[in-house]
Amino acid sequence: MMKEKVKLLFVMLFAVAVLAACSFSNPEENTSSENGGTSFKNEIKIGLDVDATKLDTRLASDSSSKRVTEVVYNGLIRLNTNLEPTPDLAESWENPDELTWIFNLREGVKFHDGEVLTAEDVKYTFDTILDPAFQSNSLALFSPIKSVEIVDDYKVQFNLSQAYAPLLSYLEIGIVPKHIAEVDSESLITKPIGTGPYKFDSWDKNSKIVLTANKEYYAGTPKTEKLTYFIIPDNSTRVASLESGDIDFIHSPLSASDVERMRGNNDFITEEKEGVGYTYLNFNMKNEKTADLKVRQAISHLIDKETISSAIYRGMDKPAKSPLVPSSWAYSDDVPDFEYSPEKAKELLKEAGYEDTNGDGIVDKNGVNLEIELATHTEDPNRIQVVEYLQNEFSKNGIKTRVTTTEWSTFSNNMMEGKYEVALLGWLNLFDPDRATYNQFHSSSGNNYGKYNNPKVDALLEEGRENSEQAKRKEIYKEVATIVNEEVAYNVLLYQGYVVIHSKKLIGFESSPNGSFYSMVNVQVEN
Amino acid sequence: MKKIMNKLLQLILVLLGITILVFSLLYLIPGDPAVTLLGQDATQEEINRFKEQMGLNASYLEQLTKYIAGVVQGDLGKSYIQNESVVDIVLSTLPATLELAIVALIIALLIAIPIGILSAVKRGTWIDYLGMIFAQIGVSMPVFWLGLLLILGFSIHLNILPSFGRGDPVVEALLKTITTGNLYYIFESLKYLILPALALGLMSAAFITRMVRAAMLEVLQMDYVRTADAKGVSDSIIILKHAFRNALIPIVTIIGLQFGNLLGGAIVTETIFAWPGVGRLIITAISQRDFTVVQGGVLVIAFLFAIINLIVDVLYTLINPRIRS
Repeated sequence: MMKEKVKLLFVMLFAVAVLAACSFSNPEENTSSENGGTSFKNEIKIGLDVDATKLDTRLASDSSSKRVTEVVYNGLIRLNTNLEPTPDLAESWENPDELTWIFNLREGVKFHDGEVLTAEDVKYTFDTILDPAFQSNSLALFSPIKSVEIVDDYKVQFNLSQAYAPLLSYLEIGIVPKHIAEVDSESLITKPIGTGPYKFDSWDKNSKIVLTANKEYYAGTPKTEKLTYFIIPDNSTRVASLESGDIDFIHSPLSASDVERMRGNNDFITEEKEGVGYTYLNFNMKNEKTADLKVRQAISHLIDKETISSAIYRGMDKPAKSPLVPSSWAYSDDVPDFEYSPEKAKELLKEAGYEDTNGDGIVDKNGVNLEIELATHTEDPNRIQVVEYLQNEFSKNGIKTRVTTTEWSTFSNNMMEGKYEVALLGWLNLFDPDRATYNQFHSSSGNNYGKYNNPKVDALLEEGRENSEQAKRKEIYKEVATIVNEEVAYNVLLYQGYVVIHSKKLIGFESSPNGSFYSMVNVQVEN
Repeated sequence: MKKIMNKLLQLILVLLGITILVFSLLYLIPGDPAVTLLGQDATQEEINRFKEQMGLNASYLEQLTKYIAGVVQGDLGKSYIQNESVVDIVLSTLPATLELAIVALIIALLIAIPIGILSAVKRGTWIDYLGMIFAQIGVSMPVFWLGLLLILGFSIHLNILPSFGRGDPVVEALLKTITTGNLYYIFESLKYLILPALALGLMSAAFITRMVRAAMLEVLQMDYVRTADAKGVSDSIIILKHAFRNALIPIVTIIGLQFGNLLGGAIVTETIFAWPGVGRLIITAISQRDFTVVQGGVLVIAFLFAIINLIVDVLYTLINPRIRS
C-alpha cells in the first residue's frame, strides 16, 4: 500500500516538473499593417453557409464556389453594381455585326504561376465549356457560340450561330490557364490558378478555404494579405460567430429573425440590397383547374405580398411585381399586377363557374369542390411558411388547399415532369432579363415547367435575345412581363434580397446585387 | 477465441446487411442526383449523359452487386461531386469525429460516474435529487439548443472560446507541445474542442449518470457489501472497490452503446459548431444527393459501431471472469 502511494507521488512530481518546464506563448506573432496611424489585420475572415464544390470556374455552379472563383480568376468582362458589363481581361470589344464579337485583351496579365495570359487561353476556356463531354454547367448559357477564333495573341473573335444579346453579361466567367488545364483537366477543381487578385493557398474540405494576395495583380495588390472563407453551416452559429468576433463578414442566406436583430446592433453594419432572384408561384397550364385563366387570376387576388414580405421575410425580401428584378437595367415599375382583394377573387371564381352551392365554405362546380395542391420544397423554412400562409388565405376564401412539401430533388423532379398544380419556388442569378424570362416562358424551353404557350411571347423573347440595343430590349421585356402577368403564367411574389452583415471595423466593401466578392480587394479590417 | 471468431462472423453478416439496406434506401428515395447536380439549367440530354457516365442507368441489382463487390475490395466508389475516392473523403473526416466523440465520452464519464455514485450512496437526499434533476434535463435537452446556448454564453458574452471550427488535431497539438515544451499548442487545439464536446457529452453524461446510479443501488444492497461493512472496511473502499467494480458490467455496456451514439449523434453537433467530421460530411452529401458519399459515411459509422460492440463483449470477459466460461 505504502509503496503505491510513493510511486504515485513520484509520478505527480514528475508531471508538475514537466508542466513547469513548458512555456506558454504564441509562436506565430500576429502581423498587421500600419496605415496612417490605424493598424489593420492581415486577414479577412468570411463565413459561408456551405463548402465550395468545384473551384474550376467552368464547372463552378454553386454560390460558394463562385464567391471563391470570382477573386481567383478574371473574366473578359466584370459586371458592375448595376449589372452592366465593364472591361476586365478584355480592355475593349466590338460588335461589327450581330453574329460577331471581337475582344481586345489586356496585355501582360499573368496567371498565378507566372505564365502570360493570351488569346489561346480564352479560346481554350470556351472550347472546353462548349464541349458537351466536359459537362460544364454553363454550357446552356453559351450554346449560341459557334466558334471562338484567335485573331492574334491579344485578340479573340466569337462567332455566333444566332444573334444573342445576353452573351456579354455571361462573359464574367473566368479564363483558365490552357497550359495547366490541358495537362491535367481536373487539377483546377481543387487547386485553381487564375489571373485574379487572390491566389489559392489551401482548401480544408468542409472547414476553410484560404487565399493570399496576388502581388502581381494587374489592377494592383489587394489591400489585405489573406482572405479566409470559413464554412459554418448553421445560420444561427454563423451570426453568433460574427457577433463574437471570430469572423468579420457574413452574407445571405440568413434567417430573417437574425437579420432583424442585427439591424439594431450598432457594432455591425447590415447592408440590404435587391438581389438577382425572385420567388414565384408557378401554375401548371396542363392541369384542368389551373388551366382556367380566371382561376389563376382569382388566386392572384388572394395573395397579400406586403404581408408575406413583412411578416415572413421581415422586409428582407420585397414584394414583387413581375419577373424583371429591380437590380437590373431592364426593370420596369409600370406593369400591371393583382391587388389583394378577396371580393374580386370571389367574382372571378363565379365567372369561372365556381360557387359555394352546398354551404361548406368551399366553392364548387358541377358538384365538385375546387381543391388545389400547393407545393414547395423543405430546404427553405420561409417558403414553407409562405405556402402555409397561402393555404390559410386560399381556404378561407373558398379554395380548398392542400400543401405538400418535399426535399429539393424530389420537388424539382416533379416540376420537370409536370406533376404539380401550383408550386412555390425561385430563380437565381438573373443577370440579364433573358435569363429571367426565356427559359421560363418560351414554349420550347425545358424549364417552362407549366407548359405556358403564347406565340407572341415566344416571338418577343426571341427578339429580346437577338436585339443588342439596350433601350429596345428594355421595351421588349416590359411587354413580355405585361403579358405573362396578365395571363398569370407566373405570379412573382418577392424579389429576393441580398444581405451582407459585417463588423464596423471592416471597411471598403461594396456589395453587388449578384453577391460578388470582387470588392474584397479594397477591404481592410481595423485592429 | 472461438467466441470472438463467432462474433467476427456475425459482424461481417451485419455489415453486409447494412450495405444492402443503405444502398437500397438511397436507391428508393425519390430525387435524381443528376438533376440536383447539374442544376436547373441542365437539358435532358446533359442529364442522360451524366447518368450514363455514372452508371445510374443500370438496373437495381446490377448497381447493388457492383457496389457490394466494390465494398468487399475496400472501394466505396467515387464522389459524384468531388471526383475523389469516397474512402479517402470519409477517412479524411473520420479523425475529427473520433476526436470529438472520444473527448465527449471522457467529459460524460467525468461528470456521470461521480454524480451517479454519489446519488446512489446518498439516495433520497438532496444530492440525489440534484443529480437526478441534472440527468432529467440532460436527457431531454436537444443538442442544437444546448449548443447555441453554449455559444451564446462562452463565445459571445464571455468571449473566451471560439464559436465554431476546429484547431489542430489534438494528437498533433499534443506532440508539438511535448517536442517544443510550449503549452500554447495543446490549449489552442482544446479551445475549439471544449464547446462541441461539452454539448455532445452532456446528453450522454445524463444517460450514464442514471445507469451508474441504478447499477450502484443494486450492488449496494447485496450481502457481501453488508459483510464488508460489518467487518469495518472503510466506506470509500467499499464503494469504489467492492461495489463500483461489480456495478461496472452494465455500465460498460451502456458506455459502449453511448460511444456509438456519440459517433452518430455528432451529426447535429458537427453542424452547429461547424466541426469538419463525418456527420457533417453525410449531411452535406445528402443535400447534394452525393449518394456514394452518404453510403460510405453511413457504412463507416456502422462499421465502427459494430467494432465497438465487439470490444465491449471482449471487455466483459476482462471485468468479469464469470462470463469467460
